[in-house]
Amino acid sequence: MPGPIDYSKLRIVPDFDTAEWWAATKDRKYLVRQCPDYGHKWFPPIFPACARCGSLKTGWFQTAGTGVIYSYVVVVQPIVGAFVATAPYVVAIIELDDCREAGGAVTRVAGVMLNDEAEVAIGLPCEVVYEETADPRIVMPRWRVSGAAAHAWRFTE
Amino acid sequence: MGSLTDKYCIVGVGETPHMRPSNRTTLSMACEAVSKAVADAGLKLADIDGMTSYQIGDSTTSPHVATALGMRLNYAVDILGGGSSGEALVAHAIGLIEAGYCKTMVIFRSMNGRSGRRMGGQTPGGPVPVAVAEGDAQFNMGWGWTTPAQRFGMSAMRYLHDTGCTTKAFAEIAVAHRYHASLNPKAVHRSPITLEDHQRSRWVVKPFRLLDCCQETDVSVAIVVTSRERAFDLRHPPVFIMGGYARTLTDSPQWNYSRGDIHHVAGNYGWKRAFGMAGVSHKDVDFISCYDAFTFTTLIQLEANGFCGKGEAGEFVKGGRLQIDRELPSNLSGGHLSEGYTHGVQMVIENVRQLRHRADDACPGWAEGRHTYDRAAGCRQLRKAELCCGMGWGWENMASCLILRGIAA
Repeated sequence: MPGPIDYSKLRIVPDFDTAEWWAATKDRKYLVRQCPDYGHKWFPPIFPACARCGSLKTGWFQTAGTGVIYSYVVVVQPIVGAFVATAPYVVAIIELDDCREAGGAVTRVAGVMLNDEAEVAIGLPCEVVYEETADPRIVMPRWRVSGAAAHAWRFTE
Repeated sequence: MGSLTDKYCIVGVGETPHMRPSNRTTLSMACEAVSKAVADAGLKLADIDGMTSYQIGDSTTSPHVATALGMRLNYAVDILGGGSSGEALVAHAIGLIEAGYCKTMVIFRSMNGRSGRRMGGQTPGGPVPVAVAEGDAQFNMGWGWTTPAQRFGMSAMRYLHDTGCTTKAFAEIAVAHRYHASLNPKAVHRSPITLEDHQRSRWVVKPFRLLDCCQETDVSVAIVVTSRERAFDLRHPPVFIMGGYARTLTDSPQWNYSRGDIHHVAGNYGWKRAFGMAGVSHKDVDFISCYDAFTFTTLIQLEANGFCGKGEAGEFVKGGRLQIDRELPSNLSGGHLSEGYTHGVQMVIENVRQLRHRADDACPGWAEGRHTYDRAAGCRQLRKAELCCGMGWGWENMASCLILRGIAA
């Protein structure tokens, strides 16, 4: 298992576009932005308009917080102090199960896995878990592998 | 560009040495690079009436350089940007000169990329003690995912998954560009490496090893652009701008993994326009340059710009194909991987020198275009260097290109 993240060395600054997202995360809810007119969903919430129709009247969709690993990296040499003791750690991009659209589009998110490199592979299912931080306003979503897959692909040296 | 093809030329190039640290200001280095490029063109500073530069909040500005050097300009604009901006500013220069805003322009980039602001976000001494995650950074720094190596690594990993390519293809790039650096007295790393050296080097962020990553250096670079009519009267044979594209974007330019195929990078949207403007095809190209912040970025640019098909780059580069005297020499100065890091401009500079037949190598007569072509003796001039395709990269989502032509030596 990767080492702990030293959240005292990381200061998250929510803003106009992201405050609601962080507030929901604190309540253990994983949100993505959603266009009320077209249903299009996206992440991260820093983008305030629907990329399909340009509307700024965006809402939120509460996802189940489950998905499939699309890609990942293994950070061996950390450069942010908060993650020095964490390394080596896996950051993954995850395709959310309940955000697949008719045209084939899917909402992707990213986060730090709780699993070691040897347990992570492209194609594996995973689920969100929530981690308290040093800042009482901020709860950090992380991800863990939740099962097996017929076609999992793991980087080999 | 159509009728503008061959109407504008690069006539001067110059740079400061790659240092770490420079112990100089970006203004001091920019003044030196601009002066050298103008002198290289055979011009005086008073002949320059336009100046542009790019930076990421880490450098001096054109008005400061103009003040320091006593230049009175008709146009001075500094843009926010990184890789691919140098080639884009050449396109700006063409437009501005064509429109009559100025006659001869100098473009510079000046950065203390190792001792000042580092691209990876580290402090000069190491990891950031306390990281403040604002804006975009809330959703990458918050999970320890910030550096270009960490970000591009996601595309590289998915690429390996999708194509069956392995990191041995990355090694081919590292070896080729280091070989070229071994022929470049200006390069910071000149000892040749093998494919095995690459595979044995330590991990930085999987799938990237140390020898997949570029150097960080303190340096300033500059190039001079003018019209064809003026170019013929100057010191060197002109290098003609045949075509290109400038900071072309994907549809998710600031968050590239959010839509579509993560390794369908911006060059895919540009190369047909560039080659169409230039009126040439890939088989006409004698040599190329790529933005090799990482070995992988060279690999993916070959595909994105049509030199090979999707998923074929690993096979394409096998067996030293990108090395000098082989099918498609790439980054003849050693590039970012081995010469040093300039946010892309050094590739334009090297391409110009090759096209002039005046690569500044170990040949005693290089300045007069006399080369031995003896690689063992340190000659890095190509025998045939008439047409090149230079590809710029600014993350997966942004790309530029310049197709340049020289007058046959």
